[in-house]
Amino acid sequence: MIWKQFFTPVSSLNGSEAKKLTAEEGADNVTFLDVRQPREYEASHIPGAKLIPMGQLDSRLAELDPSKPVVVY
Amino acid sequence: MMAGKGFDKVYNLSGGIKAWNNEVAIGPQDIGLELFTGQESAEETIIIGFGLEHGLREFYLDMKERVSSSKAQTLFNKLADIEILHQQHLLEMYQQLTGSHDSMEDFKARKVQPSMEGGLTTEQYLNIYRPDLESEQDILSLAMAIEAQALDLYQRAADRAEQESTKNALQQIANEERAHIARLAKYIDEM
Repeated sequence: MIWKQFFTPVSSLNGSEAKKLTAEEGADNVTFLDVRQPREYEASHIPGAKLIPMGQLDSRLAELDPSKPVVVY
Repeated sequence: MMAGKGFDKVYNLSGGIKAWNNEVAIGPQDIGLELFTGQESAEETIIIGFGLEHGLREFYLDMKERVSSSKAQTLFNKLADIEILHQQHLLEMYQQLTGSHDSMEDFKARKVQPSMEGGLTTEQYLNIYRPDLESEQDILSLAMAIEAQALDLYQRAADRAEQESTKNALQQIANEERAHIARLAKYIDEM
């Protein structure tokens, strides 16, 4: 498992594709995850995005639903 | 990190927030959450939501009085009327949940305290976005910004809601905001 986390590829989506994913899955079923610092989140964020700064992500993963697609920025 | 911990569908948003050519929200995570403590029932949540829509309608009507162009006045009127539709949906949700037969007027008079949608005040919105209130494009952009802020607030409130029925009510209201944003975007595209 420890190797999987280093080698599992993560796909990229552009803004339109992320919007399309939300339309297909239903807005309630996609998590937008903002991993920037709180100050950057305050300046501008995707509505409904969950803020977990990168440095806290490892310890706060339980706050996210692993069954839903997650779009990270 | 996530992919190895049970998250099978993780996507990187290429270009980050700068490449997100859609509506955005601003402010800290707790902005507006004084309205939603997380302990409200679904019924109380709908009443708060109704107050927010009501506050926004009053804002648009107030703006209508401030502008001189007839096109801007008509647009503010249209935006105010859309809020009536939202209020109607919320009243229906409330009636389904409680079995009440309150009319819109009864409901408004007995239950609702108007607040500004999205948790910011009217003046805050105007100061942040500085719209040209005579420009239809600017008015629609302002309306989009307010709805995006509201969507963000409902989502954050859903996140902290303790009861599942409250969470569902908030998700439902958030989805209404999404539909409203899409409608406003269509207006802008048609201009």
